[in-house]
Amino acid sequence: MNTPLETRIVRALNAIVGPDHVVTDPERLVVYESDGLTSYRVIPLAVVLPATTEEVAAVVKLLHGEGIPVVPRGAGTGLSGGALPSADGVVVGTARMNRILEIDSDNRIARLQPGVVNAHLTVAAKPYSLYYAPDPSSQSTCTLGGNVAENSGGPHCLKYGVTQRYVTGLTVVLPSGEVIRLGGAGRSARGALDLVGLFVGSEGCFGIATEIEVKLLPVTEGVRTLLGIFETMEAAGHAVTAIISEGLLPAAVEIVDNATIRAVEASVYAGGFPVDAGAALVIEFDGTEAGLDADADRAEACCRQAGASEVKRATEATQRAALWNGRKKAFGAMGRIAPDLLVQDATVPRTRLPEVLARITEIGERYELKVANVFHAGDGNLHPNILFDRNDPDELDRVERASKEIMCLCVEVGGTITGEHGVGVDKRGYMQLVLGEVEIEAMRAVKRIFDPSGLFNPGKVLPDPASPPVPAEASA
Amino acid sequence: MSVVTSLGDVLPAEALSGAEGGALARVARGAEAVVRPRSPEEVVDAVRWASANGVGVLPVGTGGRTTPARGDGPFMVLAMDRLSGLEIYEPADVTLTAKAGTPLADIEATLAEHRQWLPFDPPQVSSRTLGGLVATGESGPVATAYGELRNHVLGATVVCGDGRVLRLGGRVVKNVAGFDLLRPLVGSRGRLGVVTSVCLRAFPVPAKDRVLLLRSDDFAGLEAAARAVRTAPTLPASVVLWVRPTSQGAALLVRLHGAELTVDADQATLERRAGVSFARADSELVAEVRDDATDAPVVVTLSVLPSRLFEALGAARDLLGHSSVVADAYSGTARIALAEVDTDTVRALRDTIEEMGGALAVEAPDEGPEVRAAGSRPSDAETGVSTRLQEVFDPSGVFWPCRA
Ligand SMILES: Cc1cc2nc3c(=O)[nH]c(=O)nc-3n(C[C@H](O)[C@H](O)[C@H](O)COP(=O)(O)OP(=O)(O)OC[C@H]3O[C@@H](n4cnc5c(N)ncnc54)[C@H](O)[C@@H]3O)c2cc1C
Repeated sequence: MNTPLETRIVRALNAIVGPDHVVTDPERLVVYESDGLTSYRVIPLAVVLPATTEEVAAVVKLLHGEGIPVVPRGAGTGLSGGALPSADGVVVGTARMNRILEIDSDNRIARLQPGVVNAHLTVAAKPYSLYYAPDPSSQSTCTLGGNVAENSGGPHCLKYGVTQRYVTGLTVVLPSGEVIRLGGAGRSARGALDLVGLFVGSEGCFGIATEIEVKLLPVTEGVRTLLGIFETMEAAGHAVTAIISEGLLPAAVEIVDNATIRAVEASVYAGGFPVDAGAALVIEFDGTEAGLDADADRAEACCRQAGASEVKRATEATQRAALWNGRKKAFGAMGRIAPDLLVQDATVPRTRLPEVLARITEIGERYELKVANVFHAGDGNLHPNILFDRNDPDELDRVERASKEIMCLCVEVGGTITGEHGVGVDKRGYMQLVLGEVEIEAMRAVKRIFDPSGLFNPGKVLPDPASPPVPAEASA
Repeated sequence: MSVVTSLGDVLPAEALSGAEGGALARVARGAEAVVRPRSPEEVVDAVRWASANGVGVLPVGTGGRTTPARGDGPFMVLAMDRLSGLEIYEPADVTLTAKAGTPLADIEATLAEHRQWLPFDPPQVSSRTLGGLVATGESGPVATAYGELRNHVLGATVVCGDGRVLRLGGRVVKNVAGFDLLRPLVGSRGRLGVVTSVCLRAFPVPAKDRVLLLRSDDFAGLEAAARAVRTAPTLPASVVLWVRPTSQGAALLVRLHGAELTVDADQATLERRAGVSFARADSELVAEVRDDATDAPVVVTLSVLPSRLFEALGAARDLLGHSSVVADAYSGTARIALAEVDTDTVRALRDTIEEMGGALAVEAPDEGPEVRAAGSRPSDAETGVSTRLQEVFDPSGVFWPCRA
């Protein structure tokens, strides 16, 4: 147990944000002990919930002066332990910073506070026939601040790109408490280095984004959703490759495997997927109504050529939702069948999907683990979910070995260890699989620019200099 | 001191040669030497040598888009044209890795064989090198539909000022393994390091590339149509405003990409919204407009929110007179070609544009430094971070000839 935060510091925090917004009660602190990756849990000294940039700056400055670590937190849906508290630190949460400050429909930009929930922005933009494109599957809860910090993706990022493409400006409270503004729409001619791009994906290690400016897109006129049913994952993987190399640009291509289909069909989310199917592909096209059917026809032909036993098509919103259900509810459904879930996030070149999927199946079988695949196939961004019980030490050990083997495999075929969930605490020990010492050292130096004292979201992203690198042993 | 001789000690003699060609000769003016490395190792050797001998390094692609060295002191030009060729191209991955000196024309030709392309159309795009494109970070107006170049650079190898070689990113379309040092590299104009290899995302060639044209005597006559197109529910590939110097009028060029049926429908939507009917133009006009207003003694670039573009162009005309203008009406950026300009006028225009929330930059190689310095500056805070970022990449400051 850590020594609790000194009363004098608690008082000072109370004075900045009001006593209702400083949490020190151990029972309430438990809520913040982890993010979506629940295998890591740490209780912080306190949680502070400021409402404005000025309050964040004052809180951060105070804690900086006291030498107390700070961990930023959005909705806590992160899957790499990025918002995991420090036992001797304070969590600064953005839950109260949930105002959309401006929707400038003429220029298609929005300015908002970081605690705004991703889906709320799209709802607010709807009256202007605009929306916010990046759509993580967690969009009904995750925050824009978390999205910026993780450079989050989502099913429709295949066509529209990830968070980084949409962020045009940021107000940031630096670890010292200093407030800086980066970028800004309409100001590109200043010739500044792309510091907004540098901050996006910095996983809460460079400061707290307190105001975010993003681009919005016009709501598309039409949508076509296809559901292809396949006997094997490999066949579905071939269909993905065929669709991409056919020159089609679907908005989304998502895949679910048999284990996921079974989990979904056994749950309240059952969507009528055939439970004996080896894999299902959800393919979506959007844009101008005219021409969508032609694209859908070509994609359907690709599926059939790759051996699809059935291809369903939906135009109406309710039909489309039914086809998406199996994909969107997958995580929830899996939560029902195993106490613990480890979500992997490696990305591979898209041509290597069929081969990699076959080898992941083999790895799962060899370690006698349940692996369920549900992921952004069009981007080559895999999410093998390993289902397990943390209280079984032998199983836990096999989970760790298998997940490392999967990462090594993906790197070996030209991929990377994380496509959208970030490194956090979870994958920092695996960074040497993809980066050399020079690159890691350069990243450390860049971190020092923002955070010279190293007290801001410590122990995240970069490997622990004290522990030896994970040996990149070849996967079997 | 003979730099060339000293360099001969670390580089094979064939790697050295004098400046040839117009663009290269222009940027090589005042340089001690032009070095044309044939391998990344030779780049490292040259940079190390320069760093040890207090010689600045100005990396160039073809030299066509490089700003000549800024400041005094001995420097060398590092011409990347020989470091050329595809490294990895797997058409079905729709990504491509090539050496930095590879001409984009070569890459475009290879991609075209597989009905793929790079959706970037800055001026003279085909005569640039891949590394040069990444260093300038210019996407061109098709970023409207495809996103900016900075979003499609998946990986790069860069030689830092002390000879360290950083391999950043990779060759997959999504990658968040570590802090994103690639982003500031794109558009850094040689300030951080020498890019030796780049991996880019490519795209399928659209079935139709239709160019719509609307003419007017004066650019102000196109404002309503430009606004209607820019705020339409359908996203065009690009919306470009072209203003001719004197009495030749102005034009709006709208590109639509997609299947024939789609572009037909999009055209109808835009015409209905704008209350106009467009003529058709061809790709030659697109290229002519794309390359216009670049090859002038002075080029003023301005950026504002798209809703203020016409107002900004009006202010520019009041201060600068009639001139060639090419503007991206979707993003709100414009470049203006001038024969000459005086510092006070630039300052006055800058103040006006900054009051609109925008920014302005000037390229005027033959004018004094004070003209360029009259452009907008990043804030002190941004400059502070940028300077320290430069120190991480280039601790001894070898790349000073690239800096403002
Ligand atoms: C069911 C489920 C589905 C998911 N699907 C996807 C998906 O499709 N695509 C995807 O990319 N991710 C997905 N995720 C992961 C997660 O939702 C995203 O990473 C999301 O962006 C995290 O947002 P958050 O608000 O929950 O952030 P948190 O988890 O609270 O924090 C994430 C990181 O951001 C930092 N942070 C938070 N706010 C700020 C701020 N204002 N300034 C600076 N740093 C900050 C934190 O320190 C931490 O490092 C999913 C998660 C779940 C549980």
